[in-house]
Amino acid sequence: MDTITPVDTATAPMSGKDRYRAGTMEYKKMGYWVPDYVPSDTDIIALFRVTPQDGVDPVEASAAVAGESSTATWTVVWTDRLTACDKYRAKCYRVDPVPNAPGQYFAYIAYDLDLFEPGSIANLTASIIGNVFGFKPLKALRLEDMRLPVAYVKTFKGPPTGIVVERERLDKFGRPLLGATVKPKLGLSGRNYGRVVYEALKGGLDFTKDDENINSQPFMHWRDRFLYCMEAVNRAQAYSGEVKGTYLNVTAGTMEDMYERAEFAKELGSTIIMIDLVIGYTAIQSMSNWARKNDMILHLHRAGHSTYTRQKSHGVSFRVIAKWMRLAGVDHIHAGTVVGKLEGDPATTKGYYDICREEFNPTQLENGVFFDQHWASLNKMMPVASGGIHAGQMHQLLHLLGEDVVLQFGGGTIGHPGGIAAGATANRVALEAMVLARNEGRDYVNEGPEILDAAARHCQPLRQALDTWKDVTFNYASTDTPDFVPTATAAE
Amino acid sequence: MRVTQGTFSYLPELTDDQIRAQVQYCIDKGYAVNLEFTDDPHPRNTYWEMWGLPMFDTRDAAAVMTELAECRRTYGDRYIRISAFDSTHGWESLRLSFIVNRPADEPGLKLVRQETGGRNIRYTTVPYATEKPEGQRYGVV
Amino acid sequence: MPDTMTPPPSHDPALRVDLQAEMRETQVGEVLAQLDRELVGLAPVKARIRQIAALLLVDRARKRLGLQAETPTLHMSFTGNPGTGKTTVAKRMAEILHRLGYVRRGHLVSVTRDDLVGQYIGHTAPKTKEILKRAMGGVLFIDEAYYLYRPENERDYGQEAIEMLLQVMENQRDDLVVILAGYADRMDKFFRSNPGFRSRIAHHVDFPDYSDGELLVIAEKMLEGQNYRLSEPAKEALAAYIGARRTQPHFANARSIRNALDRARLRQAVRHFEDPGDGLTLDDLMTIEASDILASRVLTQEGRLDPQPTAGDTP
Repeated sequence: MDTITPVDTATAPMSGKDRYRAGTMEYKKMGYWVPDYVPSDTDIIALFRVTPQDGVDPVEASAAVAGESSTATWTVVWTDRLTACDKYRAKCYRVDPVPNAPGQYFAYIAYDLDLFEPGSIANLTASIIGNVFGFKPLKALRLEDMRLPVAYVKTFKGPPTGIVVERERLDKFGRPLLGATVKPKLGLSGRNYGRVVYEALKGGLDFTKDDENINSQPFMHWRDRFLYCMEAVNRAQAYSGEVKGTYLNVTAGTMEDMYERAEFAKELGSTIIMIDLVIGYTAIQSMSNWARKNDMILHLHRAGHSTYTRQKSHGVSFRVIAKWMRLAGVDHIHAGTVVGKLEGDPATTKGYYDICREEFNPTQLENGVFFDQHWASLNKMMPVASGGIHAGQMHQLLHLLGEDVVLQFGGGTIGHPGGIAAGATANRVALEAMVLARNEGRDYVNEGPEILDAAARHCQPLRQALDTWKDVTFNYASTDTPDFVPTATAAE
Repeated sequence: MRVTQGTFSYLPELTDDQIRAQVQYCIDKGYAVNLEFTDDPHPRNTYWEMWGLPMFDTRDAAAVMTELAECRRTYGDRYIRISAFDSTHGWESLRLSFIVNRPADEPGLKLVRQETGGRNIRYTTVPYATEKPEGQRYGVV
Repeated sequence: MPDTMTPPPSHDPALRVDLQAEMRETQVGEVLAQLDRELVGLAPVKARIRQIAALLLVDRARKRLGLQAETPTLHMSFTGNPGTGKTTVAKRMAEILHRLGYVRRGHLVSVTRDDLVGQYIGHTAPKTKEILKRAMGGVLFIDEAYYLYRPENERDYGQEAIEMLLQVMENQRDDLVVILAGYADRMDKFFRSNPGFRSRIAHHVDFPDYSDGELLVIAEKMLEGQNYRLSEPAKEALAAYIGARRTQPHFANARSIRNALDRARLRQAVRHFEDPGDGLTLDDLMTIEASDILASRVLTQEGRLDPQPTAGDTP
């Protein structure tokens, strides 16, 4: 067991003339370290994981984070005294050593509401993850979580559609939705691309999806893709009597291009469009406004997030990105599969899903949720689970991810030996059989394989799917795991 | 053709015991269960005819099964679905909906295309059955 | 062909039924004990419920061993005067039936004619249906059931409710149990004119009136529950009150006692209000005095006791 050196919390801030004498001064003496501060209900609170350089006092490092993410600069400035600077200073009020991680500290920092422009993720992030992440006295810095006060939440419009209205529009209730990303990601012509969409939807999926990097390339112009895709969607609707959709990716180089593509998607009668996280927070908020105005479901692919969410010591946790996206207003967000090919341990992923789907998130350290968060009736986001999942995992997926989720089986649909439609049917049958069993009160988590076997007796495609992927699992240790273990009882 | 609206449409027709178990699940969750029927299976035909009001105070699925038996006696030639309403704040909509009765023969839906400018096409979906007047679409049981 | 015949199950000496264990498992004993605690006296009723519970427990075992095939008829009639504990016993009965697996949920839906019968044509069927649906999985308790039948009015809508009830009692025995309740003599008359009901009722339970002594114990229990008590003279006064009240119209056993005590608490409050003295002790606030009871009209204007000198100003 590592020994944890207790954090020195005794430094008191200075005031008056001493405080504003020209020169440099420790941040903790400038008022960025206020150990007895009690955050007000309207404060925004950020929790950082701070790794100071060797020899740097953790409290000073944390105070520096508070300073650099709010009013401070490297030296004392007299112009502070022209402002109500006590109010505008972010206040670090608590620094805890991270359990089992020597050299790392959790710093709790409170920000006054007036520091931020209402309804602007760009402004929020410019402060909270602005310059401060390059600050030299720190080895590494990670934004772990944020408490967004209701007063601030209410300045955002949130998801344009939300889970409930999306279900009402699609007329699909009581089960996860099913989707698939068209593969190969690149190279298909519009005509061939639409074939994949048609087969998958006809076979029983609710949605198909463009991949994040399908925009408008030499092999397929975006208009072509939209036209063929909507032919496929409409054919599949007539074939099944169900509402179907395909996420038309409108991501482009400029806002003008994105609006043009979105307008065309609307004209063609699509129920849903898609954007990538890399278009930026302001573009996301603009597209959210557009979607709200045009009754469009807005799907967000989190392209690029792993560059800053994955490593535990530096960057921004995905739970914070999820919170920002609920404010910015997207309807779908990729949030991990637990069992699939991409990063995500069960407890941390549960934390993300709760942020997407609940009206209130209580503090749950074991899921990496550090604050109580009220969502003030902002719509709920539908989490999307995508990447390396297949029909044989249906019981685990339903158990871990619940009912309000889009399960996307790309390879698990298109790679089916009986063809795309057969792959889609296998997934739909597996899903419906599992929901039926769960509602009947069966122990579906443990009896999952038997339930699937039984369902496969009347569905040949499911039998083939189970046989094809029976040994596929992705059991690798996650890099981003919670720091707090729920059963921290002493061993004998 | 088989209309696959509603949860469980990809499974073999549910037996009454299976339906009862789903209904009891809904009742135990506090949802009000309702029966609706139609002879227009258009995917955006939202408002099927209600067979009475949602059952707000029932404790046991037998109540719904009794109504279902009666509804089938009268409208056995049409689609009947069971819907469960959840009045919890933040949801206030359906939680489950599935078809429990369908016509003996489902002719399916026709897709009509109208070509317009710029290679654009306007699509219209028409259930073949709705080419006949309401009530005469699927024959009589 | 003796070798192809299955011998009756009872011939298998290995088959055993442990009724004690079943009592424990189903916790029926606890419900009976609760009934014992809840209700003072009523010895014959409790004995009768015990009998029925025993029969159902044994029936269940017999069914399991293949000695009995059908669900027995379980509909009951509870007869007796108002306030004799019929509703309470019905609640416990629902619980017993649930524990033994004869009804699936075990709730009690308590109704009267007005809940079942409508005011105009076409109104009754949906009303009755609604109640039946609500009661499914549990017990439907129809108080003063004879009001459903009004032979003096040829077009009475009650008849429609009766027919629906009979049908469900016969065809959906697994879905609900009906208990008809009311005064013994009127129920008798009702069953005579509606033999359909009589033949579908499996158990009749008769609820006798409480004795004076039992009602006094009930009164003390009720007060105890509200942190009140009777002074010794008050207890004597209440005993006298019970004797007098019984002879008057609309006597409803325990219910009449509850009403009398409500009024006594009111008088106690007025007494303290009018004469607060040097402040009130805990004892003052808890105690009901004789005067709080003797002021009752039952004892003054129409009663058999001499009016008390202080009673002139009471209602």
